[in-house]
Amino acid sequence: MSRMMIEMVNELVNETKSEPAPKQRRTVMATSKILIVDDDPDLRQALKLRLRANHYDTVHAVDGYSAITQAHKEGPDLIILDLGLPAGDGFVVLERLQSDDRLCDIPVIVLTARDPQSSEQRVLKSGAAAFFQKPADNAELLEVIRATLPKSAPTLPS
Amino acid sequence: MKDQSTHVLLIEDNAGDADLVRLRLVEGKNHVAVSCVDRLSDGLASLTKAPPSVVLLDLNLPDCQGAETFRKVLENSPDVPIVILSGQDDEVLAMKALNQGVQDYLVKGSITSSALDRAMRYAVERQALLRSLDMSRKQQLEFKNQFLSHVSHELRTPLTCIYQFVTILLDGLAGPVTADQRDHLDTILRSVNQLGAMVRDLLEASRAESGKVRLEPHCVAIPDLVKLAVTMMRSIADEKKVGLEMGVDSRIPFVYGDPDRILEVLINLTDNAIKFTPSGGSVTVQACLAPTDPDFVYLSVSDTGCGIDPKAKALIFERMYQDPNSIDNSRKGLGLGLYIAKELVTLHGGRMWVASEQGNGSTFSFTLPLYSLAKLLTPVIIHQQKLRDAIVLLKVDVKPRTKPARGNWKEIAQRCLEILQRCVYLDKDLVLPPMTAHGPEQTYFVVASTDMERVSIMMTRIREQIDKVADLKAACDLSLAAEPVKLSGAACTDPPEKQV
Repeated sequence: MSRMMIEMVNELVNETKSEPAPKQRRTVMATSKILIVDDDPDLRQALKLRLRANHYDTVHAVDGYSAITQAHKEGPDLIILDLGLPAGDGFVVLERLQSDDRLCDIPVIVLTARDPQSSEQRVLKSGAAAFFQKPADNAELLEVIRATLPKSAPTLPS
Repeated sequence: MKDQSTHVLLIEDNAGDADLVRLRLVEGKNHVAVSCVDRLSDGLASLTKAPPSVVLLDLNLPDCQGAETFRKVLENSPDVPIVILSGQDDEVLAMKALNQGVQDYLVKGSITSSALDRAMRYAVERQALLRSLDMSRKQQLEFKNQFLSHVSHELRTPLTCIYQFVTILLDGLAGPVTADQRDHLDTILRSVNQLGAMVRDLLEASRAESGKVRLEPHCVAIPDLVKLAVTMMRSIADEKKVGLEMGVDSRIPFVYGDPDRILEVLINLTDNAIKFTPSGGSVTVQACLAPTDPDFVYLSVSDTGCGIDPKAKALIFERMYQDPNSIDNSRKGLGLGLYIAKELVTLHGGRMWVASEQGNGSTFSFTLPLYSLAKLLTPVIIHQQKLRDAIVLLKVDVKPRTKPARGNWKEIAQRCLEILQRCVYLDKDLVLPPMTAHGPEQTYFVVASTDMERVSIMMTRIREQIDKVADLKAACDLSLAAEPVKLSGAACTDPPEKQV
């Protein structure tokens, strides 16, 4: 039991160390499309840079309403969703995604400044795949994105 | 106080005294309704049913005497003003009563009608004033907590932005970085992490203060948690060239607690110990059983650091206390860490203390209650009115097929628990708190039952239910095993065997 846990931690530590080596991964990484939903332009920009450096394609939405229209238009493989949003907060977006046959299979990772004690359970119950509080550790977030992306997501031709 | 609505509850067993008081009350006022009871139990019932304007209380009643009498009334109705009418002129008892919240203490026999009337009116006024002060204090506390929660939330957005762009620069995503630039960026990143920890502590402390911290108690393996804490703190200790040792008896029984919170306490104490230990020193995390206190596990974090000034020892667990002699001022926090740690341990039913000699290091110790099957099972066994010497434990082991995200696994485990609760016979069997150490792979559940036959029916039902939910079936492997366990009297503290 304990050995497993230490291995887990080591794995995480090693990943953190090896994370800024995107070039080596180019051939194996997937170009999945990720929809970033956040009302803060700086955070959108930062996430875009980070994800593109890891060979993800990104599109963005600035509020709850455009999150849904973008999801329809772009058909992303994964959505990173803020909770505090104008024009329909994150929970409204989760609900709409869930009730839409064409969108309900897209995994959602919630990334919010809100506190896990008050929001995490509700977020997971509303259908999100994972919850992160801002600022989220880059390596952890990337790991969960990798684990959450559907296996059938398109891969870059080598 | 409106005269016409004055309702006096007189709790007095001596009929003569009661008549006298009633007479005095009627003399003094026109509109006083007096109800009289001669036992404390009747008085408490009447207080709950129809709270009076004021209680006149004799202390020597057939069912309760002395200080215990007013204590019980205070406990039952903290908002109703109490005036004691005692046969004893006992100044010590009177002060004690006033200190605990009684409004006045009058000695029978020397009371005039107007004095009693005045004592009652003032008692009511004072009580009302106290109540409104208390209300506004509570409102202020609530406001402060809301404010802190709002602030810590709002601080996170700019903090995230700094973190994101600093790491983007550091990772070379915006072009190559020189060694000097990297040093400066590392400094920014350290400060950002420190700021992040402060923002988190701010919210935690306000929550601890208002009693809003929620524990999710599980059956927890302490050796695993200590190892995890030491692994997580290793790099900080190495960086400062402080040794980090661990002394844990792997046979320590499980404790009953929230693994995330216990880890938080361990990390907090270890981080502090490293902070106050100069390079070349060492920090030791230990866990053991103490024969003097068989219901608890003892954990301690010792360092070879500067020790604590005896004067500071009493203050060290207070909010915002900071050691003015800290040797490492660059890593100052808000002074909330130990306060939060102590609150968390107290919430678990344990205690925390410190032993230290100036110049000779410090040892922070705390206790956590052992996971006791007997204690958890008591409701089932007692409920069924029969004490069995053996029970059946059904172990439900849920293993994820692939490594899931932590939050994701939490949710799967929660859903499995909900299914279990639907499958057991609620009035006969008991689902014990989930067994877990730390991390996603180890969740398993135990159902305690007194009947093997019922358990085998349950097993079938659990399988059927989980098979019905497609995504659950796809996400995890399920294994079920039932075994009878002997209960040696009432004190069975052996947890079910650890499953690897």
